[in-house]
Amino acid sequence: MTSVTYVEFNGTAHTVDVPEGTSVMQGAIDNNIEGIVAECGGGMACATCHCYVDDAWMDKVGPATEPEHDMLEFSASETRSTSRLSCQIIVSDKLEGLVVHLPEAQF
Amino acid sequence: MGSQTTPDMSRVPEHVPADLVRTIGLTMGPEFLAAPHAFMADLHRTQPPIFFNPAEAEQAKDAWMLTKYEDCYYVLRHPEIFSTRGATPFPRDPDNPFKFIPLEIDPPYHRRYRNILAPRFSPQGVGALEGYIRDLANTLIDDFVDKGECEFTTEFGRPLPVSVFLDLMGLPQDMRDEFVSWAVGLLHSQDRSVAEESMMNIVTYLQQVIREKSENPDDKVISTIIQAKPDGQPMTGQEIFGFVLFLFIGGLDTVFATLNNVFLWLAQNPERRREIIDSPENISNIVEELLRTNAVTFSGRTVEQDCELRGVKMKKNDKVTCILPAANFDADIFENPLEVNFHRPRKPILSFAGGVHSCMGAHLARLEMKVCITEFLRRIPDFQVREGARIEYWPGGVIGPKLLPLTW
Repeated sequence: MTSVTYVEFNGTAHTVDVPEGTSVMQGAIDNNIEGIVAECGGGMACATCHCYVDDAWMDKVGPATEPEHDMLEFSASETRSTSRLSCQIIVSDKLEGLVVHLPEAQF
Repeated sequence: MGSQTTPDMSRVPEHVPADLVRTIGLTMGPEFLAAPHAFMADLHRTQPPIFFNPAEAEQAKDAWMLTKYEDCYYVLRHPEIFSTRGATPFPRDPDNPFKFIPLEIDPPYHRRYRNILAPRFSPQGVGALEGYIRDLANTLIDDFVDKGECEFTTEFGRPLPVSVFLDLMGLPQDMRDEFVSWAVGLLHSQDRSVAEESMMNIVTYLQQVIREKSENPDDKVISTIIQAKPDGQPMTGQEIFGFVLFLFIGGLDTVFATLNNVFLWLAQNPERRREIIDSPENISNIVEELLRTNAVTFSGRTVEQDCELRGVKMKKNDKVTCILPAANFDADIFENPLEVNFHRPRKPILSFAGGVHSCMGAHLARLEMKVCITEFLRRIPDFQVREGARIEYWPGGVIGPKLLPLTW
């Protein structure tokens, strides 16, 4: 299990355990965390699982891939260099303690 | 087959509380057929949020029915509890069964099939079709614009999505009328032998096409499926067939029904047509709101493990039906749900379901709606339902009017 912290736009932080091999998106859905919608269930087809990876974690997580960028164009909130589709970030023990920030809106 | 009949309690399993058992005539009772969307919106008032519906028609199943947005989304988001196993009411030859792909494949395997087509159905992927759809819409309108009247379902609603489908698949446009008659026969016939004959015709034709595309591939969807190697292996003939047939079913009747529902509403709401014409920059929200209030179908699931939802205990092998149109009218999520509000704060609609089996064609459907509404209103801004015409709805799992005579 890997500890992941989701920080809502209003600053409320939720720290939960996410099983290895699961996406950051799925960790939010499974723990009923507000702010991730994941309309398409992880298919990179909707841009509603948008998150901003915390600066301290960008090296380990890496930037969005090109297909992610294509979808992030449709995001309801501003995109930043730290923007990722959380369905594409797979949790492993390398990401123990990961922090992601949730955007103002997914829609 | 009326609504409000006394439920047949003998088919109700032991674990189902008697006070949750209801018959309502969903998809075929007279109250439903008089005004299906109003009926479904009203379920929030007339029924408990979760109720048990013993089957009211020949091919239906006893099932829990859900109307709350939150509950439907929960079901759709938890495929490990609510799977698509046996959940699609479709006749199949038991000696030669096929699965609808990717709907009837569970995660994680289903992702391998979806990925085959995902790029083509992405917003960018379907964007490539916009010009074609616009030309098509205008060509169809050319044929009736000067007549001052049309039967919308046969002259626009039916041919447009079929042509788009044929183009996407790499099938010839001269098959359109044939495809239309097969689709109608398969999905709207009240006569079982007609449905079976249509199915046979589709099977024969698609098998021939699959052979042809294997020998002479192009860059369209059927060839893409044939050549794909999910897991490093080509798909079997049955898998290819199950995939292509599912796209056929998924993409034709639903868009047809949605167009008919939306244009009925447009015909009845002249001020709203003006509002749409006057706010082209808001077309995306307009389309989304019209999709919310005109959802056409349901999501069925099978319970894989005993569970509890909103205090209701469900057992393994129970069937569940998410009444998606009702969920779209959930006042907990959409304030004043019956109001068609083009400036509503955006929330995900359930018209395309959601979660891992969410409709792959959603972006294409949105594009078709955007183009059809814009082009039709540009060419024929004022129209109404022909005076004296009575609108009747199809019974069954895709909701929409049978005929829509328009005049202008």
